Amino acid sequence: MYRAVRIFLVGLVQGVGFRPTINRVAKITGVKGYVRNLGGSEVEIFIEGSQESIDRFFRELSRQLPPYSLIDEITIISDEPRGLQSFEIMKSSRELVNRSMIPPDIAICDECLKEVLNPSDRRYRYPFNSCAWCGPRYSMIYSLPYDRENTSMRKYKLCRKCLDEYNDVYNVRRHHAQGISCPEDGPRLALYTSDGKLVDSSDPLKDAAKLIDEGYIVAVKGIGGFHIAALATDDDVVLMLRKRKNRPTKPFAIMCLNLDIASRLVYFVPPSSIDLLTSPQRPIVLLPKRHDSPVSRYVSPNMDVEGVFLPYTALHYLLLMETRDKFLIMTSANIHGEPMCIDDECVFTKLRGVVDYVLTHDREIVNRVDDSVVRYTDGIQVILRRGRGYAPKWIRLPIDLKRDVVAFGAELQTAGAIGFNDKVVLMPYIGDLDNVDTLRDFEKTLWFFINNYSIDLSKTLLVIDKHPLYASREIAYEIRKKYGSNIFEVQHHYAHILSTLADRGIDLDENIVGIAIDGVGYGDDGNIWGGEVILIQGRNGYRRCGHLEYIPITSDRDSIYPARISSAILISMLGSEAYNIIKKFGLIERLPYGEKEVQAIHNKIIMGDYIRCSSIGRYLDAVSALLGFITYRSYEGEPAIVMEAMSKNWNRIRDLEPIEIRLEDGVAIAKTLNYFIDILGYLDRADLMAKQELAFRIQLELGKVLARIAINELKGRRNMKQIIAVGGGASVNTYIVRGIREVGAEEDIEVILPRRIPPNDGGIAVGQVYATIAVDI
Amino acid sequence: MTLVHGSGARETFDLIMKTIVSKVPERLRKVNGGMGIDVLDDGAVIPIGDKYLVITMDSYTVKPIFFPGGSIGTLAISGTINDLVVMGARPIAIMDSITVEEGFELNVLEKIVNDMIDLLKKYDIPLIGGDFKVMPRGNLDKIIITTTGIGLAQNPIVDTRIRIGDKIIVTDPIASHGAVIIASQLGLLDNIKNIKSDAKPLIDALLPVIEKYGEHIHAARDPTRGGIASILNEWAINNDVTIVIDRSKIPIEPEVRAFLEALGIDFLSVASEGVAILAVDPQYSDDIVNELRSRGCKAEIIGEVVKPQSELLKGKVIAITEIGGRTIVASRGLNLPRIC
Ligand SMILES: [Fe+3]
Ligand SMILES: [Mg+2]
Ligand SMILES: [Zn+2]
Ligand SMILES: [Zn+2]
Repeated sequence: MYRAVRIFLVGLVQGVGFRPTINRVAKITGVKGYVRNLGGSEVEIFIEGSQESIDRFFRELSRQLPPYSLIDEITIISDEPRGLQSFEIMKSSRELVNRSMIPPDIAICDECLKEVLNPSDRRYRYPFNSCAWCGPRYSMIYSLPYDRENTSMRKYKLCRKCLDEYNDVYNVRRHHAQGISCPEDGPRLALYTSDGKLVDSSDPLKDAAKLIDEGYIVAVKGIGGFHIAALATDDDVVLMLRKRKNRPTKPFAIMCLNLDIASRLVYFVPPSSIDLLTSPQRPIVLLPKRHDSPVSRYVSPNMDVEGVFLPYTALHYLLLMETRDKFLIMTSANIHGEPMCIDDECVFTKLRGVVDYVLTHDREIVNRVDDSVVRYTDGIQVILRRGRGYAPKWIRLPIDLKRDVVAFGAELQTAGAIGFNDKVVLMPYIGDLDNVDTLRDFEKTLWFFINNYSIDLSKTLLVIDKHPLYASREIAYEIRKKYGSNIFEVQHHYAHILSTLADRGIDLDENIVGIAIDGVGYGDDGNIWGGEVILIQGRNGYRRCGHLEYIPITSDRDSIYPARISSAILISMLGSEAYNIIKKFGLIERLPYGEKEVQAIHNKIIMGDYIRCSSIGRYLDAVSALLGFITYRSYEGEPAIVMEAMSKNWNRIRDLEPIEIRLEDGVAIAKTLNYFIDILGYLDRADLMAKQELAFRIQLELGKVLARIAINELKGRRNMKQIIAVGGGASVNTYIVRGIREVGAEEDIEVILPRRIPPNDGGIAVGQVYATIAVDI
Repeated sequence: MTLVHGSGARETFDLIMKTIVSKVPERLRKVNGGMGIDVLDDGAVIPIGDKYLVITMDSYTVKPIFFPGGSIGTLAISGTINDLVVMGARPIAIMDSITVEEGFELNVLEKIVNDMIDLLKKYDIPLIGGDFKVMPRGNLDKIIITTTGIGLAQNPIVDTRIRIGDKIIVTDPIASHGAVIIASQLGLLDNIKNIKSDAKPLIDALLPVIEKYGEHIHAARDPTRGGIASILNEWAINNDVTIVIDRSKIPIEPEVRAFLEALGIDFLSVASEGVAILAVDPQYSDDIVNELRSRGCKAEIIGEVVKPQSELLKGKVIAITEIGGRTIVASRGLNLPRIC
């Protein structure tokens, strides 16, 4: 019997060698018809033939699916045969039936790398080698569908040999692969001095490697932006880079030629980290430092982990191969707080004083995408920064959204998202929106997704954070002005917990208790929150059922000089008696204006001129300063991160007294202020080792007290899911999470953390989208 | 209503627009041929013959009433004079209305009035009328002085003429007044021993410069409540431009800077009472700075007006920070932490 079927595939089906595979399978199985990309980045297949050949087609297809494709949805409709004589890859259509995933960038595959390393291959030492299975995607797409003419590869006309490969149905990796090229026709490298003078070089890659070995700092253009490459083994070079970048302590990532080299720097603990390092996403992974690591101690001062990653392009691989160490600092090429450079002009103007040379190429980076960062929290994989490789893959919600949504995220280290049907597309990590250039990038990225997913803004719900000073809100207001869209405000910590639930595919059909812990979020009472236990009341909103006690914050400067917070807590508890303690524990020396600053804080507190803040981040800052771990915070979360690093290798000998809980109008409050005074008592008889032990236990106790509040909410209630959902930037802290888990385990309650999105503000937009199912706008 | 609504920043502006300006019919927002609440400048402009009458009114409350460098009386007179001067007007007369709380001491009132009269004598400005009232105890916090200033201008400076390329000039170190007031309120005057309020009339230093450069000065304001952050934001919004300033070029006494830093307060949002901020034609900016300096000011060019790079940056003020980043300067009375 002669039949025809039409198949629609949604998922990661463009840019991963899908159409060529279909074509090949059709040729092998003898069906006629066509395959084409549709505008929403889904794929349409039409086949006709005997029932037998159609069955064969499906069988063969499931066997030959390209390694990186991901089918999310498949629709098969039977159709009328049209008497087609051949099978063809048809020109893409802009027509939008469904919306599919915009493909993320994929690290170079083994086959491509083999070619590059094979002296008799025509792509030997070719830095831009790629195939249907690998190479840049999102970073070079102007618009969908993913076809060569819609990418920055369009200016490179395929040579005869490449064209033959492209047209050869049986060439598995290059048939109809959009991004392919070769030394004849592809992008070219060039080496410049940092002030834009071309360096005469027959082999820019080799020369760049030589310069790096000599101790120069070189900007290297990659896939989603520029890196700064420098020797990781030379203290002077590292310190010079720190000085030039104005980055005193924030760790640099290290790219290692291969696992062998990486194993000299870090331990692969847990062993699954090896799969992560070699995955097509190729993230930076934070792993325990080897004690005999050859890396300069200035690369990641005060850290017990090193951020390492493997090359994800031939360019990186070849560059590392030519260097003496086979591993290098590869840090984002930006100036403090600004987005990473993606073009030469940016490097030549902004990084003139930072780098000595620039290794660049002539393929345009269309969409900036930062390296992703993954770490292990209490043994479990957590994404800290979701960029290259992961973004912009979508996340499926357990239910359908009522309408399209654009979510604007928060302010610092953030990203936006769009939602439609049952999907949330979390945009790649953008950065701090208080910076003008980052904000513009954020806007640009928003529009890329709004346009490519054909979001009709006039019917779209815009979701913003409640914080009245967030810059991202202004973009939403602009859009509302133009398109008349509705705006919906979502509380920060509610969104954090919803992010975790969305990531884990948990429906809001029951009440769920969550813990949201972070640095700063605007609370419903006008105070700053960040140590919250929140009851998600199914689809009927939420109730704050507990939190850490409010501590006084006297200015934004408190986050930079954490000893201010320690002093403020002490003053609020002990009045002017606090002065002696502030002196005794050396807090005065940790404040640039010393006693004057303490006095200013004192008087502000007396006058009631301060902000109330229940943030665990600020509390950890205060403890970290009190314990003497940190004086000046040079990057976000540093005091807490350092404290976590200091707590390593401590096991419980005895527990500290638990943090008490008091009830106030039905809200459970963890008495962290009193606890701070208790810490003084422990500290009185502590040397450095004991301080580390103390740090370990304090983090554990903070986790435990929050979990106890959560469990109290859970116990004996009906319609409650027996889980605790945890979210927020501080939920990457191993010891806090361990504390929560221990209490959870006693009651057989599972503790849930996000897996595919960052628990910090980089993932908050997902929860903002999810929140819209609970409202009627 | 919260105190934030009176901070002189964005919240005040929004409130006034919503509750007052929008309800007044357009034709009643100004005198024909002049300017009024349609532009919300420091003063109103009424044409008479070939000149313009400029009228301004302000209420002054300050805690403490006396501070290093002056009193509420100094403030009331300097502030009103300055509002006229930055409109390009030569002050011709002042009226005042003083309201005190029951129990206010006579000798304190006398001291305040003396401060006012001293300034009027110095600048030869007649006090032509006023009002005096006492309110029952508790209905008022000590004293409020409201002053009306009347001036005459050849070319009134209304701040709607700002153009792309204009240079932004600050006439003197900023924020000394605000710092002194904050220090007094917090009992920290010892921390800025050498600093006095900058409250003073701008007649000698600025008025001749304004008269000389006339139309080349496109905008002028005195950055009182809300500081220069607030003025620059108003300018940017009203003229649909972006204003970029370089924080490291802004004149400020080191002691004031350190004091505010220790408190975690951004000096851009702290008041001055004897400083003006100007937007001027770039061709004349150096001359104007030199002229101001020759009159004893420590004037500096702190930034410029640029074309907005995007819709979002229209009406925004951008500061180049001390470490070279570019941040948006908000005009907000709220001081909420955003740092994560
Ligand atoms: Fe957060
Ligand atoms: Mg005024
Ligand atoms: Zn490949
Ligand atoms: Zn070729």
